[in-house]
Amino acid sequence: MGQLHPLASNSALESTIDKILKNTEQDILASIKSGLDDSQQNLDDAIPKLEGEYDKIISDGKKEADKIEKQIIGSADIQARNQQLMALEEAVDKVFTKALDQIANTDRSGDYSNLIKTLIEEATQILGTTEISISTNAKDKDIVQSALSQFSGAELSSETIECLGGIKVKSKDGAMTFDNTIDARIERLKPLIRKDIAAKFGVGN
Amino acid sequence: MTAEGGVQYSKIAEIKGPLVVVDDVENAAFDELVEIETTEGERRLGKVLEVGNGKAIVQVFEGTTGLSISGTKAKFVGKVMEMPVSKEVLGRVFDGLGKPKDGLPDPIADKFVDINGEPMNPEQREYPKDFIQTGVSVIDGLMTLVRGQKLPIFSGSGMSHNLLAAQIARQASVVGTQDDFAVVFAAIGVQYSEAEYFRRSLEESGALKRSVLFLNTADDPAIERIITPRVALTVAEYLAFDLGMHVLVVITDMTNYAEALREISAAREEVPGRKGYPGYLYTDLSTLYERAGKLNGRKGSVTQVPILSMPSDDITHPIPDLTGYITEGQIVVGRDLFRQGVYPPINILMSLSRLMKDGIGEGSTREDHSEVSNQVYDAYSRAQEVRALAGIVGKAGLTEIDLKYMDVGDTFEKEFLSQATDENRTIEETLALMWKIVSKLPKNEITKIKDKYVEQYYKEE
Amino acid sequence: MAAQGRIVWVSGPAVKADGMSDAKMYETVTVGNSKLVGEVIRLTGDVAFIQVYESTSGLKPGEPVVGTGNPLSVLLGPGIIGQLYDGIQRPLRELSKASGSFIGRGITTSAVDMTKKYHFVPTASNGDEVSAGNIIGTVQETDLIEHSIMLPPDHAGGKLSNLVSEGDYDLETVLATTEKDGQSIEVKMYHKWPVRKPRPYNKRYDPTVPLLTGQRVIDTFFPIAKGGTGSIPGAFGTGKTVTLHQIAKWADSQVVVYIGCGERGNEMTEVLVEFPHLKDPRSGKPLMDRTVLVANTSNMPVAAREASIYTGVTIAEYYRDMGKDVVLVADSTSRWAESLREMSGRLEEMPAEEGYPSYLASRLAEFYERAGRVQAVGSPERDGSVTLIGAVSPSGGDFTEPVTTHTMRFIKTFWALDAKLAYSRHYPSINWMNSYSGYLADIAKWWSENISEDWFSIRSETYGILQREDTLKEIVRLLGPEALPDEEKLILEVARMVKIALLQQNSFDDVDTYCSPEKQFKLMKLCVDFYNQGQQALKEGAALSDIRELGVVSSLLKARMDVKDDEMPKLAQLDKDMQEQFKSISGVKVSN
Repeated sequence: MGQLHPLASNSALESTIDKILKNTEQDILASIKSGLDDSQQNLDDAIPKLEGEYDKIISDGKKEADKIEKQIIGSADIQARNQQLMALEEAVDKVFTKALDQIANTDRSGDYSNLIKTLIEEATQILGTTEISISTNAKDKDIVQSALSQFSGAELSSETIECLGGIKVKSKDGAMTFDNTIDARIERLKPLIRKDIAAKFGVGN
Repeated sequence: MTAEGGVQYSKIAEIKGPLVVVDDVENAAFDELVEIETTEGERRLGKVLEVGNGKAIVQVFEGTTGLSISGTKAKFVGKVMEMPVSKEVLGRVFDGLGKPKDGLPDPIADKFVDINGEPMNPEQREYPKDFIQTGVSVIDGLMTLVRGQKLPIFSGSGMSHNLLAAQIARQASVVGTQDDFAVVFAAIGVQYSEAEYFRRSLEESGALKRSVLFLNTADDPAIERIITPRVALTVAEYLAFDLGMHVLVVITDMTNYAEALREISAAREEVPGRKGYPGYLYTDLSTLYERAGKLNGRKGSVTQVPILSMPSDDITHPIPDLTGYITEGQIVVGRDLFRQGVYPPINILMSLSRLMKDGIGEGSTREDHSEVSNQVYDAYSRAQEVRALAGIVGKAGLTEIDLKYMDVGDTFEKEFLSQATDENRTIEETLALMWKIVSKLPKNEITKIKDKYVEQYYKEE
Repeated sequence: MAAQGRIVWVSGPAVKADGMSDAKMYETVTVGNSKLVGEVIRLTGDVAFIQVYESTSGLKPGEPVVGTGNPLSVLLGPGIIGQLYDGIQRPLRELSKASGSFIGRGITTSAVDMTKKYHFVPTASNGDEVSAGNIIGTVQETDLIEHSIMLPPDHAGGKLSNLVSEGDYDLETVLATTEKDGQSIEVKMYHKWPVRKPRPYNKRYDPTVPLLTGQRVIDTFFPIAKGGTGSIPGAFGTGKTVTLHQIAKWADSQVVVYIGCGERGNEMTEVLVEFPHLKDPRSGKPLMDRTVLVANTSNMPVAAREASIYTGVTIAEYYRDMGKDVVLVADSTSRWAESLREMSGRLEEMPAEEGYPSYLASRLAEFYERAGRVQAVGSPERDGSVTLIGAVSPSGGDFTEPVTTHTMRFIKTFWALDAKLAYSRHYPSINWMNSYSGYLADIAKWWSENISEDWFSIRSETYGILQREDTLKEIVRLLGPEALPDEEKLILEVARMVKIALLQQNSFDDVDTYCSPEKQFKLMKLCVDFYNQGQQALKEGAALSDIRELGVVSSLLKARMDVKDDEMPKLAQLDKDMQEQFKSISGVKVSN
């Protein structure tokens, strides 16, 4: 055994280890480098992705916020408008109640009996007969009674009805009715009156 | 509107179905509005269908349930049915007869308008040609909607037509002259949830304050459905022609309307036309659809997108059939595409916009629009043929060019047709996608496009 | 003595009035306080059944009905051309002056401007013995229309006197009088004629001259003759209206009467907007100068829909009597039939098929019988024609429904529109297997004399290719295209070429919208030549794929759009290129 195994010599061992180490180091270095590169790449890749994600979150959020904003503004607009409508209606109602009060308490003399005559005349024309029975409220009974003389066939019903004034006319066979009370006439005109009142409040035109 | 002037009659001869026959009537006019009073004092509305020889036949909108021969009274109001209109109707919700349903008072009327409208004089119409960008590729690219058009959606039960209509209403409202835009929505016999979906969709886009809603839901009286589209269109005409707004009217579902009409016809014992629908169904439908349009010398327009569900998906059923003869095209929702989960599931081959040719091209969309759309139609139609053939002989039996058409079909459905419900595409994006489809074909297959456009836009991948 | 009655019953467009024993059948009456126009359609005792031509909303029993003593008539004289009338000849422009953008009721207007002066040139002389139908002079109505002033067809005749000299006169001026048996009759520029009574003629000719429409599938494959009848049925969306508009635009007739009967309002507007800007390909004048429109759109009162057809055809006959070729297009006769059905229903008549009245067939027959090429009544001798083309809108696209089936009995050209073709955007969607023309043999002579002696044989050959393709398609459907031998694959290729290059026509393309007879023939011949040379090349060993890829193929497919009518040499060049290209592939393959 004159010759030692190369690895038996320290120097040889060292150099081998050295060699191995060197190779390994290069490998390690290379792998570290490539790892670094990879992670850099990953990072590079991730940034736009992240930015995209970020943008998407932001834009989704913005969209959502837009939607909510629009929704809030829209419904606030409507709510404000609706409150205005309610307020207006309240005002209209007040004017109405007041007007009705006045009508209910108007003086029953003079012109009023002419009004009653006109109302009866109109009713007979529309029904096409004077064979009628007329109802009215307790207050106007006498006025109606005195107007009846001009309409042969017409008679005053014994029952009174609830109304502000005016008359309700029924054909004697009971088949036809015509409501010519002041209440009904006002009701018919109400949409137009409302428009007038609203215009005075500066709404509509 | 409540109590009206007029004579009240109490001699009821007959009550059948939605009809009340009043006897000894002296002074009633055809079409006149009638107020029916029940024994309990409840008031319902109706109109005169026939009058003469001392009899009047009255159709009761809220139905005749609970009416009796002895206790019912009918008052002939002396005028036809009217709708009070004013700018304040915007942002409001009404029932199917035009009465407030949102707890607010009656609108303060600017005027009262006969809900039947009058026929537009064709000589006074302005031919519709203004492109409406809906942001939905398949519509903008292949079946363009224009202002003043009537373009229905033919769908079937359970499909996504309401989603589409809502998307159109939302997106069409944000382009162009925003302030002048309004949406009128009429629900006829649909489920409450469908009507609510539409309302919410308008609310979320902030369009509610520029919308008017008329709701007759499934549990509301059926005969009322005769009136719902008429009050809606009356309001639409007022907004368009008196206030100068561009109004989009969405009506859903016209099938329920036609069924109400059939019910009345049956009660009158009229000779029926096809499938029991009255012979005048065409004329009657046209009095609604023809209320779309533009008028010379006036700013606004009424555009209609009525929705109807085809019974058993049958396009030859009288309702879609007669509708198609009146409207200016149709958008057909296809069951197959719907099942595949495609949205919007539009069968383009059966769909068509008649007014498209005048709404597109240089100055409105782009000069190549018409030709590229013809080519896309042609290509997709070929693709469908090839798919059918492939089903029989297998892919192996197809020629090379056949395979290209298969590819075209897939690209078309995946990239062009499919779209998210909140995706709003510009017309440029839409046209680019169309060229992408066309560019999948070799140039000698392109027979419908002039060479100069092919040179400009064709891009081989 | 005019009848004076009272309304007793109202239901939609139908009104009954009593006290009408003096009324005559088909007399026009004014109905109600707002004086709506109506027509008596049945008399029972003293009760008249009236169809009202305007909306009856608000009409009440008790309101008056007054007879006019006259049947429903049209006014015939200069000023009709260029108008848009409603179903009872009221100019819609005048109606809009009275009631704005929407159509009001109870408006009376004159059909033409009675005060407009026309330059009258007498062609007869005082002292001439004249009779019904004689032309006494002419006026220039529009740039395109020289309007003959004729004695009415029911004129008693006599000696012409007091004839005015050449000059400008309005319609109410007495242009002449005729004297006979001591009776003097005034002659003006216009007369009236009842719409339901066909205008008389001397004799009828066989239709032998084609009506050229510039539409290849019509002129070349399914032609119609001047004085003939044609029908175009199709489900919605098959392009019926576009095809009819094309005929109205390009037909080589002197006058076009277009009836929009129960159709869309915007369609009439489209004609009104478009026609004044379109030039007649022969005269270069605006098309509106030869067109009359009658419109009862679907939302206009239904009774006037029934009348609109008669109003239109009477106007057509009037211009025919001047010696002109007139085309009448009615869109759609189905809506007219429906209006008959609706009135019949209100009359509670016994219905026949699908609720239509039993007299539907006879009414259709009467209408189509008013077509014809005739020698007009009176002198000078002159021939004119009325060609009738009716659209049919079959419900559900079903050609077995009553209006389609009855119409088919009375017409000779049938253009069947096909929804499948329309879905694949093959326009015009006229199905070449289901359509037919009964005039083919009659008009072949014209083509052979004016275009080419080969026309008939080339056309048969082309049609033969289409027929063979139809059979082969069955095989392809079952086995795929690869199952066919190359000769048969070539048939499929050429059939596709015929469909794209000939049958399809883009009416919105400036060039393709109108195709001259010469170009039609040349394109057809190119397809046939391609086929024959292709079969020859296959025999000589060429591969089908080589034939398919010849450069000439795509030029041929686009020639209809690329080659203008006055660029025929381009087609000759195409022919030359084709021969050379075939030579090149045959040569290559043989050497292989």
